[in-house]
Amino acid sequence: MTDEALWSRDLRKVYRTKGSPEVEALAGVSMNVRRGERVALLGRNGAGKTTFLKIASTLLRPTSGEIRVFGFDIDRTPERARPYIAVVPQEGKPFFHLTPREQVYTYLRARGLTRETAKARTEESLHRMGLTEFADRLSITLSGGQRQRTMVATVIATEAPLLFLDEPTIGMDPFARRSVWSSLRLLTQRGSTILLTTHYLDEAEALSQRLYIVERGRVLVSGTSDDLKRAVGGTLKVLLLRGATRVEQFRSFGECVPDGDSLSVIVAPERLGELMDVAVRNQLTATVGPVTLEEAFLRVVGRSIDEE
Amino acid sequence: MKNESSTSVRPFRGFPAFYWTEVLVQAHESLAMATSMVVQGVLLVFVWILNPGLIGVALVGAVLFSTFQMGARVLNEAAYVRIDHKANDLYLAGPLSAEAYFLGMSAGILTVYLGPVIVVGVLATIVVPLNAAELVLLLGLGAAVWVSAASIGYVFSTAFRDNRAIWAYSSLFFNIFGVLPPVFYPLALFPVALRPVALLMPPSAASSLMQWATGVTALSTGQIALAAGGLVVEAVGLFAFAVYWARRTVRGR
Repeated sequence: MTDEALWSRDLRKVYRTKGSPEVEALAGVSMNVRRGERVALLGRNGAGKTTFLKIASTLLRPTSGEIRVFGFDIDRTPERARPYIAVVPQEGKPFFHLTPREQVYTYLRARGLTRETAKARTEESLHRMGLTEFADRLSITLSGGQRQRTMVATVIATEAPLLFLDEPTIGMDPFARRSVWSSLRLLTQRGSTILLTTHYLDEAEALSQRLYIVERGRVLVSGTSDDLKRAVGGTLKVLLLRGATRVEQFRSFGECVPDGDSLSVIVAPERLGELMDVAVRNQLTATVGPVTLEEAFLRVVGRSIDEE
Repeated sequence: MKNESSTSVRPFRGFPAFYWTEVLVQAHESLAMATSMVVQGVLLVFVWILNPGLIGVALVGAVLFSTFQMGARVLNEAAYVRIDHKANDLYLAGPLSAEAYFLGMSAGILTVYLGPVIVVGVLATIVVPLNAAELVLLLGLGAAVWVSAASIGYVFSTAFRDNRAIWAYSSLFFNIFGVLPPVFYPLALFPVALRPVALLMPPSAASSLMQWATGVTALSTGQIALAAGGLVVEAVGLFAFAVYWARRTVRGR
């Protein structure tokens, strides 16, 4: 058993459908996730995130490349890795004619847990996901968010060594999302490893220790969210009201993006004073704040699209 | 590793638990259970009106048709939970074996829908009447029909990406195998040229063998061999193929 929970090299996936052109969903993805890490996979719709997750969770064969889960080559021997993984599928739903309590418990039993362990884990997981109140109602009567919470409760109750979560908090309210975050943090403290995809960049920032940005089947950037912010030229964003006409005076500080008649400038902290001097000289009102992961993501992916 | 078994996924691992899951899922569908005998009931009424002397054949046919129908339900159920619920992703990316998923689902459906079939079976036993050997034969034939239908249903279910497309095929499947051939009526009333085809279709092969065993229809040794041999080969072959296919289709290509 290796310390690497997941490892891939030059992973490619080409979808071939009769009568349709080939689609290259993954064009050589290399990635490694260490045991106990929480890693987010980010990207636009169709970037290849779900394809990667499906391959990593043994549900899809790669076209070429290598991929291992806890050292097991999952292209050749997926059955060796399956006892160690659990998946929240994208748009997955619990059985409508089971209650959340039945759903979680029977799933744990199907994975081979004893009655006692399954019962205890079911109650803990339902409690963590705030489902106790609805635990005995059929899932068909639950809201979309409550059903999604049931799916997450089902999978986190496994405490599997490696969890794949494809957009786990979609449709959830902010309180429920935070319950998921704290449950996932607890799981990694207990030794599990988590790879998730999300379109909520605040979620990725709050939850993941490292992230990968994928675009057109390739990894564009990987590292911490701070690494990503630095990659776009700074960790601070200065918004200059009515500064859109003065772009040339600020271009040397970093990336400038006009926004209506305002101008936002990404700047490194050490050059902030110098920039503020220029703003004062030009009688511009400036607001300083941190660069968000979403802004960094938009710039990194936007740059890549421009280059294409 | 801290939980579950560290070994690789064993054949049929998780079958009892997934079987129980499916029983719970199906047991909540009381309306579907209540309507599961409607077609059989209507056909029995038709036979009663047209020729009351054939009601015994029709009752035995209704039992065999029902076992076929319980197997065929796997087509809709497997496709529905895969396409609409992504349940196969949830269950199969884990230690549950693919064949336990297929067999657990099939057996769960069988268990929940078995009640009304037992009632018809008791009626058939009284009306025909069936002796112990004939009853055992009926159970064996019903099991073979169920295995064949569940296997075909599961394999077909993996071919679809849209549930709506399945409705047309499941209706075709249901009528071509169950209603049209001599299941509710004697083989002797079926066109001679098409009898070998009927003897190769699981529900009509089973019904013809029961008709022969109860003295309703005379079958030649060749016809008995064709029906019995075909049924055994189909049940075993289709089940083995469904297990292979279930394992193979865990991973898309």
